[in-house]
Amino acid sequence: MVLLKLCWLLFVINALTIGGGYVMLPMLQKEFVVNYHWLTNQEFLDAIAIGQLTPGPLTVMNAVIGYKVSGLTGAVLAMVSSYLPCIVIVTIVARYYYSYRESIIVQACFRGIKPAVIGLLAAVAISLGSTAIVDPRTSGIALISFALIAFTKTDPSIVIVGAGIAGAVFL
Amino acid sequence: MEDKITIKAIFWKFLKIGSFSFGGVYSMLAFFERELVEKNKWLTHEEFVESVAIGQMTPGPPIVNTGICIGYKLKRLKGVLATTAGQSFTGTLLAILLAVFYVKSRGNVLLTSVMKGVGAAVVGLLLSIIFKMARNTIKDLTSVLFALAAFIALALFRLNPIGLILAAGITGLAVYGRRR
Repeated sequence: MVLLKLCWLLFVINALTIGGGYVMLPMLQKEFVVNYHWLTNQEFLDAIAIGQLTPGPLTVMNAVIGYKVSGLTGAVLAMVSSYLPCIVIVTIVARYYYSYRESIIVQACFRGIKPAVIGLLAAVAISLGSTAIVDPRTSGIALISFALIAFTKTDPSIVIVGAGIAGAVFL
Repeated sequence: MEDKITIKAIFWKFLKIGSFSFGGVYSMLAFFERELVEKNKWLTHEEFVESVAIGQMTPGPPIVNTGICIGYKLKRLKGVLATTAGQSFTGTLLAILLAVFYVKSRGNVLLTSVMKGVGAAVVGLLLSIIFKMARNTIKDLTSVLFALAAFIALALFRLNPIGLILAAGITGLAVYGRRR
């Protein structure tokens, strides 16, 4: 039952990830941390970090979530359920690209969703921040990471590795 | 030299792309283009640009969708499976290994300190993502209202984000659907 729920949720969440890969985070956090308690906020943060550290898309963080929920089977099924909606949708759209691109319905929906997901991400950042930022030192690490990624071309993976080293030394 | 496009060749190519592309979406897309358009000439520049556009305008993580779209253009469904499997193989394997290690060494003092630093950096990363997305998307009062309403609905009223995204789509349809 747990596996079925995991797969179904990941299927729905990936089908609604509109406007960038990070858009799945508010949905993942709500379902897996808040509703089902399969992960803590800290474990969720760690899963994002692993997804960011490993090469390829952030989506592989879902393998980490699947592993926590149900071991190796959970990890593999999590990846399959994450990719399935994308495969179905993209193959259909690739075939009817021009009518899809001109579709006023799709455009109008997306125009509403794209700014809204920014608000959702901001709410998640606050919730995760209240777990991760507990003293001046952790706020310093968060601030430096933000500045490096927002204003320089530093690779986020390097920032995360650097923050891990800083954590080992200072925290 | 133009390589023959076989399912095996597609898988290996995307395994390479998926294994050596770190960081953000743009570094990955640049790597895609160098390998597929410039080196192997499997796709024209226009086909590549169209795949990126489709990746961005379809639900699902854009980089995953771009790979799926390229697979479809090259070899239909078999191509899709080859690009998807290749693109995520290394990352998934490493992620599972890290997850095993992480679960086994829970409680380790050093790992706890490392992950505290990492957690703070992830929050900083999220803020920078929000900053970049807002700069591209928030352009007028209506978009500010959409973002604000979603923020309040989740942060204050703790409504479900899946429902909120659907609601934002329907509201978008009501607000923007009649233009033209």
